[in-house]
Amino acid sequence: MTGSPPAPHHLDAVPDALLAGRAADGDTAAFETLARRHGPVMRAAARRLTGSLADADDVVQEALMQAWRQIDTLREPAAVRGWLLRITGSRSIDHLRRRRFHTDVDSVEEALDAGMAGRPASPDPESSAVSGSRIEALKRALAALPEEQRRCWVLKEFNDQSYEDIAQTLNISTASVRGRLARARVTLAREMEEWR
Amino acid sequence: MSTPNDTLDCGHTLAELSTYLDTGEFADPGHLNQCPECQAGLAALGSISALGTDLRDADIAAAGSGTDDWMQSILDNLRLELRPGRSIPVRGGHADDILSETEGAISAVIRSVADALPGTAAGKCRLHGDVGTPGAPVTVSVDLAVVYGHPLEQRAAELRSQLAETLSQQTELNITSIDVTITDILAPPPSADRTQTTPEEKP
Repeated sequence: MTGSPPAPHHLDAVPDALLAGRAADGDTAAFETLARRHGPVMRAAARRLTGSLADADDVVQEALMQAWRQIDTLREPAAVRGWLLRITGSRSIDHLRRRRFHTDVDSVEEALDAGMAGRPASPDPESSAVSGSRIEALKRALAALPEEQRRCWVLKEFNDQSYEDIAQTLNISTASVRGRLARARVTLAREMEEWR
Repeated sequence: MSTPNDTLDCGHTLAELSTYLDTGEFADPGHLNQCPECQAGLAALGSISALGTDLRDADIAAAGSGTDDWMQSILDNLRLELRPGRSIPVRGGHADDILSETEGAISAVIRSVADALPGTAAGKCRLHGDVGTPGAPVTVSVDLAVVYGHPLEQRAAELRSQLAETLSQQTELNITSIDVTITDILAPPPSADRTQTTPEEKP
């Protein structure tokens, strides 16, 4: 109802900050344009964090709902992408905590690893689109990392979050973030034989 | 627990190198250039981060486009609630009627006027003043983006006059001024884009 009747797709050319300002005024069309623009990176991050595409879509939906409610509090409208990714990170971690609460920890780890390894048995058009054996090897190495290290790594490398943001998201100290991230990278580098 | 036991022969740790990659901070910056071990460590960690970026790009590509069905179904599920904003009284035909319109509805009107001009799109807009009191002076401010090549002052003037007219027809606000701020100059869209990128918008 508060959309932009003439041509909503004409918002595709409009920068984030302007759309965020409109969305804060209640323009659903502007918000949906932002969601479409940044949805793929949110989905990618949520998928690596939760280990499943179905969970990723739940997370993206929750994240967008939170974003709609809070977008009028966004201080820097131009930084909407990073803000959406921070929300996606938090909602992903919440999702994992809820799941952990209901399920035996070990079985979750196994399910995650199976999910992250690309579910070889099932036909997965998405993994076939991914080319490059080094990327496949990284996926496997990533799947073998301890859960807490993988979270730090994805929040850093996918979401480009600061140590402080990651610490807040995971409810740990920045020193722990630094340590887990270093361990994750060192392990991945060893697995990938980056050292000679 | 917080750091890996990976201390190089030079005394620095891989954790320090990992932090240096992200923050550019290192206790002894001069050392990095001279130490082959640190150089090798940085190269290894850096190449893992670069590969991480490749994985992210591949995952984003695999996630599909924001115009695909998965996003449409998420958007359909969201059912974004409206943001009505302040309530603005409107006189009814009968003395007993109590009518009002919302600030959100007026913002939508302002956006639709701005979006309908050639080569422009509205940003945020605000009604300043006591909109709850009939007759109180109200000023309107609108951010506007204009596509490169369109005359800025002319567009701003057109918007001001059209808004004055539309708002006087559709509201009872006592609008004393309309401030238009041009916040963005947009790149002109490639002409073919118009038809290609039209997603299935919700009705």
